[in-house]
Amino acid sequence: MIINLNKFGTTLTSRQDGKEAYNAFLSTLQAVPDNEEIEIDFDGVVTFTPSWADEFITPILNTYGRRVKLLHTDNPSVKATLRLLEKIK
Amino acid sequence: MNFGYITIAEAAKLLGVSIDTLRRWDKKGKLKAVRRKGDGYRYYPIEIIELYLKDIFALAKKWVTDPPALPEPEYYCPDSLIFKNRLGRLEKDLSTMDEIKNIFPLITAIVGEIGNNSYDHNLGNWPDIRGIFFAYDVNKKQIVLADRGQGVLKTLKKVKPSLDNDNEALEVAFTEIISSRKSEARGNGLKFVRQVISDNSSFSIEFYSGSAKLFIKQGSKNLNIKNSDINYSGCMSLIKF
Repeated sequence: MIINLNKFGTTLTSRQDGKEAYNAFLSTLQAVPDNEEIEIDFDGVVTFTPSWADEFITPILNTYGRRVKLLHTDNPSVKATLRLLEKIK
Repeated sequence: MNFGYITIAEAAKLLGVSIDTLRRWDKKGKLKAVRRKGDGYRYYPIEIIELYLKDIFALAKKWVTDPPALPEPEYYCPDSLIFKNRLGRLEKDLSTMDEIKNIFPLITAIVGEIGNNSYDHNLGNWPDIRGIFFAYDVNKKQIVLADRGQGVLKTLKKVKPSLDNDNEALEVAFTEIISSRKSEARGNGLKFVRQVISDNSSFSIEFYSGSAKLFIKQGSKNLNIKNSDINYSGCMSLIKF
């Protein structure tokens, strides 16, 4: 499945919002068959931060590990956030 | 011209600079004028000139050091929802600036991290005034955030009791992966701010908490932590771009 992050908004900054997005999306995630890849698409996102990502992306990576694929983006705030998450893993 | 606009001569008088200086500032994008169709003359919205005359950092500094009182409503974000809304406005305003069109999301991201940190670390524990002061001036290319919260030392001491003073606390906040909110695994906001500033040559930050001051200049990793000229509980930052 593809998760289009822009469906949660285009300014994804606070922990509170990240947590809310994760909780709302959990049932959709749990319905994904075991053999299916989970692709996260950042297209359309304007501002992205480690706080939001830590509440949404981190738990998905922790649960689904290698099945998760982060799609390429040129957005500098997405790239900087993913770099930081990578550093602290 | 419509009500609310003044001529270049009037703007020059208010700002105490020459008309030529204003023309130069317009060309450089430092203080942009609007042109009227027909005569092509430069005009300035009066609120932009008024903002230019104000020193938003001085206002924030006064607010955090004065006895407790609410800041001016235009700069006051009592809760994170109002902050989110104004952050969206900042993002929109920055997105129209040609010179930063490829990097403006980084500015909104670090402002978002600093502002949300204030709420996350002080929720239910504000010493006096709840919420933050948040102001920006796209002409002077400055963003100011301030809170009258508990400050970095008190917040971090909960998870790192060995911390001894404000200078040490700032160093840890900007370098070590640590979280003072026990329900969370991590707190990365200020590490992110440092990474973004050191990876880019376009922004700098001054960050104050307690009796300490930190300055990271464009493209540098150095924290330059010193004793500050002000001492107050809470955090205040000045971002320049």
